[in-house]
Amino acid sequence: MGMLKPLPAEKWNFTTAAHLLNRAGFGGTPDEIEQLAQMGPDEAVSYLVDYDKIPDPTPDPDWARPDPDRMEKLLAFRKMNQGLKGASDEKRKESEEKRREMQREQRQTQQQHLLELRGWWLERMVKGPRPLQEKLTLFWHGHFATSTQKVRDAYFMWLQNETFRRHAMGNWLQLLTAVAKEPAMLIWLDQAESRKEHPNENFAREVMELFALGEGHYTELDITEAARALTGWSLNRVQQKFEYRSAIHDPGLKTVLGRSGNLTGNDVLEQIVAQPQAARFICAKLWSYFAAENPPEELVSALADRFRQGKSHFRPLLETMFRSEEFYAPDVVRTQVKSPTQWLVGNVRMLERNLPPPMMTSNWLRQLGQDLFAPPNVKGWDGGVAWITTNNLLNRYNFAAVLVLGRNALPVVMAAADRKEPANRMTERLNRFNNRAAPVDAGKLFPPESRKDHDTFIAALGKRFLQSQMREKQATAIREYLENEGELDDEVVLNSIRLVMSMPEFQLT
Amino acid sequence: MSNSNPGLKTRRDFLRTTVLGGALSWTVPAFLARTFAEFEVHAANDTQVTTGKDSPILVILQMAGGNDGLNTVVPYANDHYRRARARIGLQPDAVLKLNDELGLHPSLNGLRELFGAGNLAIIQGVGYPNPNRSHFRSTDIWQTASDANKFEKHGWVGRYFDNACPGEDPTVGVVISRQMPLAFAAKHPMGVCLDNPENYRFGSGDTGDVLIDPGEESLRELNRPEMAGESADANSGASVGAVSGTMRLHGSVLDYVERTALDAQVSSDRIREITRKVANQASYPGGQLANSLRVVARMIGGGMPTRIYYVSQGGYDTHTNQVPAQARLLQELGDSIKAFIEDLKAQGNFDRVMVMTFSEFGRRVAENANRGTDHGAAAPMFIAGSKVKAGLLGTYPSLAPDDLLNGDLKYTVDFRSVYAAVLEEWLKTSSGPILGRKFEPLQIV
Repeated sequence: MGMLKPLPAEKWNFTTAAHLLNRAGFGGTPDEIEQLAQMGPDEAVSYLVDYDKIPDPTPDPDWARPDPDRMEKLLAFRKMNQGLKGASDEKRKESEEKRREMQREQRQTQQQHLLELRGWWLERMVKGPRPLQEKLTLFWHGHFATSTQKVRDAYFMWLQNETFRRHAMGNWLQLLTAVAKEPAMLIWLDQAESRKEHPNENFAREVMELFALGEGHYTELDITEAARALTGWSLNRVQQKFEYRSAIHDPGLKTVLGRSGNLTGNDVLEQIVAQPQAARFICAKLWSYFAAENPPEELVSALADRFRQGKSHFRPLLETMFRSEEFYAPDVVRTQVKSPTQWLVGNVRMLERNLPPPMMTSNWLRQLGQDLFAPPNVKGWDGGVAWITTNNLLNRYNFAAVLVLGRNALPVVMAAADRKEPANRMTERLNRFNNRAAPVDAGKLFPPESRKDHDTFIAALGKRFLQSQMREKQATAIREYLENEGELDDEVVLNSIRLVMSMPEFQLT
Repeated sequence: MSNSNPGLKTRRDFLRTTVLGGALSWTVPAFLARTFAEFEVHAANDTQVTTGKDSPILVILQMAGGNDGLNTVVPYANDHYRRARARIGLQPDAVLKLNDELGLHPSLNGLRELFGAGNLAIIQGVGYPNPNRSHFRSTDIWQTASDANKFEKHGWVGRYFDNACPGEDPTVGVVISRQMPLAFAAKHPMGVCLDNPENYRFGSGDTGDVLIDPGEESLRELNRPEMAGESADANSGASVGAVSGTMRLHGSVLDYVERTALDAQVSSDRIREITRKVANQASYPGGQLANSLRVVARMIGGGMPTRIYYVSQGGYDTHTNQVPAQARLLQELGDSIKAFIEDLKAQGNFDRVMVMTFSEFGRRVAENANRGTDHGAAAPMFIAGSKVKAGLLGTYPSLAPDDLLNGDLKYTVDFRSVYAAVLEEWLKTSSGPILGRKFEPLQIV
């Protein structure tokens, strides 16, 4: 049975175009979807996939460069403290105080940068000209899940984010190698601490288990041997970049996944990616992210074949995926739970409003379970139905109100988890913040012709927010609401939008 | 609101007209009928809801970050301890003595009182074979009750719900947090999580808790699951795909979200009602743990059918300058637990409740160069309750350098035999199917 046949052009319409934009990007307005629908499937897919033809002039954050002075200072302090071992208590105390003061400053700076970094990335997702590149960057962030909790350096997190972006559509081995050499990864999985006398197996294990092969496709011995081969891959903390140090590399004979020799780190990654399982593993994960979870075996085989034909580059694979009939099947379309990021970015795009300030969006995403640059662990976010808990769902409904109405639906009461005092300054600050977000422009989203009667308005709501017709039951509920309210003024329009965003199906895409 | 939709005016009406009025297109959870009955009773005489009034309750308290067990239950008379903890060790005259060898951290006066009153069991040296020093991994191991080399999808509490509480009210498990801990992951997920009862609801824009406004009423309608025979076509989803094939209707993702939405509605109404009605009757300290336990106490007092509550306290990852940090955390821990128990006593519910603490690991025996400690292995657990076998249980692991494993204490009690005890002796259920195999339960009740 032939798989991955292209969807016939005559089946291309608003719904399929919306599905493509939702999954290969973060959704859009009815006008944007209409444009894709007009293009036809080939051109629409190419518009998203061949993004390197579209210039992206986004400037880097102004602090996003190495800061050797800062690192020198930190290291000098560390040395000084070591040198003080025999010194008097007083001297030690003085130095300790200085160090702590510096650490405090550092922490504040890093927190500020991280907040800016989150805002910078969300802004690219919302307004950037290359939605698929950002969507892939988010995929790789969840796949190579490193967290600022351990890396503790916004510059390193940014650097890695750029590597994901640069290689997002490239070759698998090149991406894997680049990521392995990122300072964030070297710190996160302790590769920077690995020496030939004590090889650290953390990265060697995760690269096989979580990044490239999956459990059951390697042995414990493969891990031990790979860890030896990877010794020498280290971090120059002053220059803030990867450094190969031959003095700590174990040059001896190793055997990894059937290949023997005086293997190096590069050899190991090459051997991993050469496994037939490697193509299957990453293809299945990409399908799960873009289309649907648990793809059937034969689909994975077909995807892996395509991936190998394309010399393990992601571009031809993704093009095939987005063109395929399977991608537009009923068990794929509108069956995916929106991640909190998808939810937020998609909302902002559908509502044609500005992104709220990073302090607010970071707080929301954390509360909804997707703290960017801080995934819960090396496995990344579980995704799917795990995004939905009773608490998260009510939070989604209430945050949607702030986005639409520009004010809190609830008086903000700090989470028990954050609260030291029943009411504190943070609460007040967030209250002020949430109440300062402007409402959306009801007149722009729903001009008079879309409000001429309730059914027209309900159809327009469905088109913009669900990219399809509303279920009859939901339409009835909205109709009853409208009948109770009388005139379809802006306030009623905004409340209706909020209601649509507070439906179970709105949580899916 | 006008009366165009008089049949769906209130929560009770909603249940009457929808749940009992027609069959749902998906499995009707048993809890719904009961919820309805409760609301009826409640409406009739405004007495407390009564479900689960006699069932035992377990409160799981996570001390996240890896609490230093050695400075919690302190072997103050031990020479190895004195040597390994030259700078951060606690002095014999400072600790709250339990016997000639062991004492509690000076901040734990709350727990010391419980111990004296016969309401506290201290289980010594709890851990597991091949300990993992990663916070994440070790937390997962505790949450799933798995072997160190196995990855389990479901948590031990989740498996308890799957095995012992099918068809229960979703509030059979309540997590005071934003996220479900892995412990609650299950084949048929149960339990709700909330971080604050006042935020745990659909906000309708006005501040009062007066009558349901039209928006909120519509929201309820929008989030009500579809009835059988209601709009058969009409699942627009079925016509969405561009190629032929069926949408996975039953057991679909949409089902799951709808069901969670319903759980959220039912539970938020009730939790808000109950937590407003019931007042705390003890004086709690400040801090997030105390706030969480306040909420739990009110929910217990209000007669929630919850069997398992989950609260947590973070900050135990004390790599640097441990002494003041741990003192503050343990003070908060002991005082919060003690206030919670006084509250339960005042309610008359103390006999029904057991509190169990855990942390993903203890810390290295030797202090580090920064007046802190690094990730380690075995550590004590606390179990508080009126029916616990009070005292020191298990054996304190040896601190002799030759007896350590990579500088860590070797466990003497597998944490799963504590879980087995809690399941069998307290929750009265068979532990084998939940823990995957038989662990000899420790005698804790």
